[in-house]
Amino acid sequence: MKKILYVIIGVLVIIQFIPANLPEVSSDNPNDLLLNNPDIKVDVKLILKTSCYDCHSNETYYPWYSYVAPISFLVSRDTREGREELNFSEWTTYKKSDMAGLLDDISEEVSEGEMPMKIFTIIHRDAVLSDNEKEIVVSWADDFTESLFE
Amino acid sequence: MKNVIIILAITVISFTAISFTDGIVTKTNIPGGNNPAFSIPDNVQTIIDNSCYGCHNSDSKSTKGKMKLRFDKMPNMKTGKLVGKLSKIRKTITKGKMPPKKILAEHPEMALTKEEASIMTTWANDVIKELSGE
Repeated sequence: MKKILYVIIGVLVIIQFIPANLPEVSSDNPNDLLLNNPDIKVDVKLILKTSCYDCHSNETYYPWYSYVAPISFLVSRDTREGREELNFSEWTTYKKSDMAGLLDDISEEVSEGEMPMKIFTIIHRDAVLSDNEKEIVVSWADDFTESLFE
Repeated sequence: MKNVIIILAITVISFTAISFTDGIVTKTNIPGGNNPAFSIPDNVQTIIDNSCYGCHNSDSKSTKGKMKLRFDKMPNMKTGKLVGKLSKIRKTITKGKMPPKKILAEHPEMALTKEEASIMTTWANDVIKELSGE
């Protein structure tokens, strides 16, 4: 019984030496959505920053435990994949049609409760979206899409 | 006479049952809409009928497919929404993600050939260009 415990501790110690390669953080993002669209309302801005920006921007905040393996591996993968799908820090580099596609994704995923991901909101309780907040995001996404083509 | 009726009844019931379990609708009914820039040429229509419409229509049994895209609603979408859907069609087809592998395992004939995929993405690009000048 003690042996098993030692093995588990041993493995946990060893995996700390495997680099997790957490995606880099940058606070200087000239192509950022919010920076380039000052008309976006404060309530929308706050929701995006609190519930989305950790994975969908270069402004990821890594709490201490995100440096501890194996959590670091999960955080690393989810942040990388999140940025790949949609990176608000790179917003103005997207084609207008792709912006529309991404905004449609936002509208779908948020209204279906697919985003933010459960694994994220388990720990980040402040990222949970109420029905009202979902509605705010969805109607912003839909209106913002149309405004791109006016 | 009774036997004939019974056999007939069984045949009708089993055919109905088969069509239900299959669950793939191939009949397309895409109405004309109020967005004049949006049209579906015949060669695109054929591909949609064969490979997409079964899940992506308003009466679809696929909740996810119906939620993400309903071809019959496209003609009446606002410009931004429509461009968004077309952009996603372009992306998913380019990445080879549609039709989904799960469907193709049962319906290999629904797979898009390289040529069909290129017809679809070209169409999406053309309509996007028409709508947004991009």
